[in-house]
Amino acid sequence: MTEADTVGDQTAVVQAGVSRPGPASSPKPTGVGIAISNLSKIFTIGRKQIVALDDLNLRTPEGSFLSLLGPSGCGKSTVLRIIADLETPTGGDVRVHGEKPKVLRDKRHLGIAFQDAALLPWRTVESNIRLPLEVSGVSVPPDTIPDLIRLVGLEGFEKARPAQLSGGMRQRVAIARALVVEPKVLLLDEPFGALDEMTRRRLNLELLRIWTERVTTTLLVTHSIAEAVFLSDTVAVMTARPGRIKAIVQIDLPRPRTPEMLRSNEFHEIEDHLSDLLFSDGSSHSGDDV
Amino acid sequence: MIPAVDHPDISTIEDADGVTDEVVSGRTLRLPSWSATALGIGLVLGFWVFAGAVWGMNKGIPQPWVVVSQLIKDWHYYPRNISRTFSEAWRGYLVGNFLAIAIGMLFVLVPFMEKALMQIAVATYCLPIVAVGPILQATLKGDSPKVALVALSVFFTTLIGMLVGLRSADRHSIELVKAYGGNRFTQLTKVRLRSALPSLFAGLQIAAPAAILGAIIGEFFGGERGLGIFMIASLQASKVARTWGIGFLATALAGVGFAITTMIGRRLTRWAPSRSPR
Repeated sequence: MTEADTVGDQTAVVQAGVSRPGPASSPKPTGVGIAISNLSKIFTIGRKQIVALDDLNLRTPEGSFLSLLGPSGCGKSTVLRIIADLETPTGGDVRVHGEKPKVLRDKRHLGIAFQDAALLPWRTVESNIRLPLEVSGVSVPPDTIPDLIRLVGLEGFEKARPAQLSGGMRQRVAIARALVVEPKVLLLDEPFGALDEMTRRRLNLELLRIWTERVTTTLLVTHSIAEAVFLSDTVAVMTARPGRIKAIVQIDLPRPRTPEMLRSNEFHEIEDHLSDLLFSDGSSHSGDDV
Repeated sequence: MIPAVDHPDISTIEDADGVTDEVVSGRTLRLPSWSATALGIGLVLGFWVFAGAVWGMNKGIPQPWVVVSQLIKDWHYYPRNISRTFSEAWRGYLVGNFLAIAIGMLFVLVPFMEKALMQIAVATYCLPIVAVGPILQATLKGDSPKVALVALSVFFTTLIGMLVGLRSADRHSIELVKAYGGNRFTQLTKVRLRSALPSLFAGLQIAAPAAILGAIIGEFFGGERGLGIFMIASLQASKVARTWGIGFLATALAGVGFAITTMIGRRLTRWAPSRSPR
């Protein structure tokens, strides 16, 4: 499978589970979601130069769910950080919906969540979720925040502070916060990476449910193969340093995805195929979970 | 308030008899928290009495009860002296800390300013207070030299506390604000200022006794009233017990300043993990 597979006639992404178009979904003009060409990033640490990303190319349709899968330190987070305009590329071009990261950020199109929930400890759940609105000046209908809290299953915890929540609950707040501005682009940097397998499964399901309700071009950085397969339309497998795209795999499992699918043969076949890709060259065995 | 859902083991303690007993017996063994304080005060008093007995009044060490009785006898001198010193210290504390907090914010907003001005800030700290005192006394009028000296002596510790605090803000929280279109100023108001509070108050705590000390030293260079003036006068009159009493009250005043700052700081930073095991 090559990169060419993704560039094509997928303007209308197959999304069987979409019951209604999301509030943020605009008429799809070009149909291009994430478009990365010849991206490179070199970090200079002291006198050493580290090539984090080298000639990376990626293309997904608008509204699709893309996962970046790779060993730790392969630069997958760097790709996400460049799209979020938190890092500047050394070379190449990055666009989402035809816009450069800076424009994307200035237009308040981004929603973002990190591995660390990064909640402000002095703010309640409610007020943490409201933070992006205060910062960006975006206004949303008054019932948005209560709706989101219900969506992520935190009713009754509106006034709780982060210290009173479990890791899984904090991560749910972070997801709700990422969604509050009704972003056109959702960037998730291993948001469930620090959680136990059970909580991760549950939050995967919730994320899927939320994502189907609002069509959003999404990039998920993960090192969990199962998570990538279960959630994505497309999985891009990366090589270890320098980070390159090794393969792009379309996940053809129908939507809506259900927990039963996790036990299906197709699911396991895709999982095996991805882990073959990840571990084939023997250079990237770095203890990542499978 | 909120049930600790992630710690189911806490709620099970009541069910298991053995565990409950352990908790109860553990509680009976534990000393009350004031006992450590009492022990500390007892040690100091014990050493004081011992030193007083060995060296005595002639060598400048009166017994505690002599100091206390002198303090009671002198009581009518204190209100006006304390109020003057306190007023100088308070005004200097406000000015110095206000400047430190403002400049700390400026340094974080405009990093270039830090490179330009930090050396001057360091210089204010390195400047010996006894060298600046006379100069200020000669150039400023009335209370101002004392207030300026106090401001000078609280400025640097608060600035450092503020800077450390502003920089201790969680990196991801800052990046989050950035990703939603926030600039340096938004980062400051939404994340950094609140994050800075614990560290700022650590600085303000140190600054409170420093303010009292600064005011007293300022009074050493002249003036008509204040604990510093009173202290010099009683020293010159060889009133050893009175000098001790003044020192005692000055210490108490500094301690009260420290305690009030601590209390306010704790009230404002309830969300923060506690820094001291109290």
